[in-house]
Amino acid sequence: MDYDVEAIRSHFPILERILPNGKQLVYFDNAATTQKPLVVIDAMSDFYKNYHANAHRANHTLADESTAALEGARDKISLFFGASESSMIYTGGATEAMNLIAYGWARYNLEEGDVVVTTEMEHHANIVPWQELSKDIGIELRFVPFDNEARKLDYGALEVAAKGASLVCAGHVSNVLGVRNDVERIIKIAHSNGARVALDSAQGAPHEKINFDGLGADFCAIAGHKMAGPTGIGCLLVKADALAEMGPFLTGGSIITSVTTEGTQFLDGYSMFETGTPRMAEAIGWRAAVEWLEENINFHDAHEHIHNIASWMSNEMEKIPGITIFGAPGRDDGVGVVSFLHESILAQDMGYLLDAGGFAIRTGTHCAQPLLEAMGVASTNRASIWIYNTMEEAEAFIVHLRDIVNRFA
Amino acid sequence: MSENRDWPEHVDEIIEEFIDCFDSMERFELLFEYAKKHPFPLHIDDWNDENMVHGCQSRAHVTCVTDSEGKILVSGGADAQIVQGLMAISSFAINGQSPEAVAEHDPKYIEAMGLSQILTPSRANGFMNMITKIKKTAQAMLE
Repeated sequence: MDYDVEAIRSHFPILERILPNGKQLVYFDNAATTQKPLVVIDAMSDFYKNYHANAHRANHTLADESTAALEGARDKISLFFGASESSMIYTGGATEAMNLIAYGWARYNLEEGDVVVTTEMEHHANIVPWQELSKDIGIELRFVPFDNEARKLDYGALEVAAKGASLVCAGHVSNVLGVRNDVERIIKIAHSNGARVALDSAQGAPHEKINFDGLGADFCAIAGHKMAGPTGIGCLLVKADALAEMGPFLTGGSIITSVTTEGTQFLDGYSMFETGTPRMAEAIGWRAAVEWLEENINFHDAHEHIHNIASWMSNEMEKIPGITIFGAPGRDDGVGVVSFLHESILAQDMGYLLDAGGFAIRTGTHCAQPLLEAMGVASTNRASIWIYNTMEEAEAFIVHLRDIVNRFA
Repeated sequence: MSENRDWPEHVDEIIEEFIDCFDSMERFELLFEYAKKHPFPLHIDDWNDENMVHGCQSRAHVTCVTDSEGKILVSGGADAQIVQGLMAISSFAINGQSPEAVAEHDPKYIEAMGLSQILTPSRANGFMNMITKIKKTAQAMLE
């Protein structure tokens, strides 16, 4: 059956939006955050309207319902990612999940001189926690270079960097370039060197069905809002043996068996890491999102649709004088991102000029300054495509981009 | 033009130009033109950490001094043409005013020009940071 993009779009009311300048919204900023189907908005609204109460804390009906919804969401979401519910820790998003690896696992298991490997292609969320931990406990941080010519990770350098490493942390998909790293190969290289592997799957999870148990990574960080879920929630998936090695990160209520003036005894498993009032509405919304994805999206077909649009856009943009494309949107490892620059129109100006036509894209460093430095640019424009975008939108984008270049270059 | 204006009268002319534009693309074209006619551009050689405007995706720098009559003189330089155009228009609005007036400056004329999206509190936008920097400098002159 053909990919029915109009049927998919009908679930996303925001895509009908007319902007204040009278232009129809074309949302190409999906790598920053995706829009939400109505079922997600309704599920969160229903929670607040009908059974909102604090989970895990009280013996009244609403609290029971809220707790059941929170834990029911964990069951559903973990299953969606091919993981057991006991291996899923709710976090505020992928950034918090990466910090949880650094402060909940590495801080308890690594010491001065131990090696953590990351790459130049990473979002700052997979760089800064390691730099901070290096300052705290003296770990050695190694960066695997980005091969600017091949527009992909230098896997030969990874083989070298992983020797003697305790942990290898890599992005699943580059948020700047949309290049999918060969995560299976990364896991193999890391494990063959005795290192654990952490994947930042913030950009991977929206584009492929993750099977955490089958993939073999030790940790996997995911953001709900980049895959139709609400903001403010994500998760860290952790292998059971790695979870057993973790210690508390953020501390307070809800994660303890007892607290005395002498000290604290913590709960085991994921419960140790979810202090404070849980993200109930967000978990319920995220559950609605994964259920919606399961019912409405075939990830293989969606990827093909997204890839076709990004490839076409990239090809057309290359015909426009002065445009340079970064990454390789048409390649097999391209995942719906077209990062580009014009030789004389600065990225910031380009963002405003595209917005004038109704096109929402991202401009700037994309929280990935080491990668931009490796590419030799200060910023890029990034159009990122997702399941509800259409070829007609892409065509309108190219028409408007040509107009911009004709008038402003 | 509005009698409730919060800006010098001569800025009305600029506002009229922008209001007459057909759409936001034309307004941006006009802004690009103003970028080229900044009355007191700050030469790139004079861009430094001290006069840098934080919060810009691109590089932006502004200086604020007083002339021989004690009136404010703002110079600016940015590599993004939209920011440079805004700097130019702000210079027309600010230069020649007293430090007291500049310390209270409100760039409402940008909204009147139909460029209100420029004034959003986005961290990506350095224009309001530039105005804040100028106002703080003017305020410091009074202390």
